[in-house]
Amino acid sequence: MRSVGTGFLVAATAAAAGFLVVPRMILGAPLEPVMGFVQKIFYFHVPCATMLFLSTFTCAGGSIAYLFKGSEAGDRVAASAGELAVLFGICTLVTGPLWGRKAWGVWWQWDARLTSSLLLELVMMAYLLARRYAGPAGRKLSAALALFAAIDVPLVYKSVDIWRTVHPQTTVVPTLDPRMRPAFWSAFALILVVWSLLLALRMRLERARADLAALRLDVDEILEARS
Amino acid sequence: MTSPLARLLRSVAQVAVLVTLWAGTASAQEFQKVEGALRPELPAAPFVGTAYGFIWIAVLVYVLSVARGLARVRRDVEELRRTVGKIDGAGPRP
Repeated sequence: MRSVGTGFLVAATAAAAGFLVVPRMILGAPLEPVMGFVQKIFYFHVPCATMLFLSTFTCAGGSIAYLFKGSEAGDRVAASAGELAVLFGICTLVTGPLWGRKAWGVWWQWDARLTSSLLLELVMMAYLLARRYAGPAGRKLSAALALFAAIDVPLVYKSVDIWRTVHPQTTVVPTLDPRMRPAFWSAFALILVVWSLLLALRMRLERARADLAALRLDVDEILEARS
Repeated sequence: MTSPLARLLRSVAQVAVLVTLWAGTASAQEFQKVEGALRPELPAAPFVGTAYGFIWIAVLVYVLSVARGLARVRRDVEELRRTVGKIDGAGPRP
């Protein structure tokens, strides 16, 4: 087994410090005049959605390497990022309706942003299911699904600008009140560090499983040679 | 055969029903302004708390599941090493 690297420890320390500092920054940021306190969900909802996009692109990148070059490392990256896409997708799809219930008065609207986000999440869930249950062809099938998911990402992002929706547009972050920016970017950095740590941890598990599979093959060969 | 009185009563009843239905429909389509009514305001803190709590619990559960997977792999590796050690007859490898 490999030991924990220095980079991992540094990132874990940064994340621990972030857990202490970022909530205070968010509480200290000014209240949004229309929505009030519930707008504080924004500080983690947007980074979670961004991590969903980042995970999907990472999964698609690994899948391309696996599909076209047969890269096992690419497949391991894709498998790890695929799980993170589902994790952060769930976080986005839970925090969004909590915000919407208070701000819009409803838990859910079948508008372009919400529906396309749900679709992306379902495709990434299909990726994991295909990987696990589709048998020998599962890895290739799921890699193809990851490419479709990556194509959906720009559509999800631009949906609020293309169609009329109740969801805020993509101009929110660039035009954010300067007094809210430190809290937002700190929360974003924290979520990014957490994402990197989770990816490193999950890839460690994938590598360990690959090592175990290789070891099993060696043992089988030894047993066959002895018998 | 029905008497004229019965016919009259039936006609009056029919008109009464029609007027009642028309009036009911008309009044149902009117909105009346209510002064000083309390607007139900949902408190924001439970929503914010639930959102933040959910994210960190989800991350924690995921970390625990990956850690459990790593522990299982470690256990399997040890088991295989013991098996190889028994085959070699030299005990478990370091």
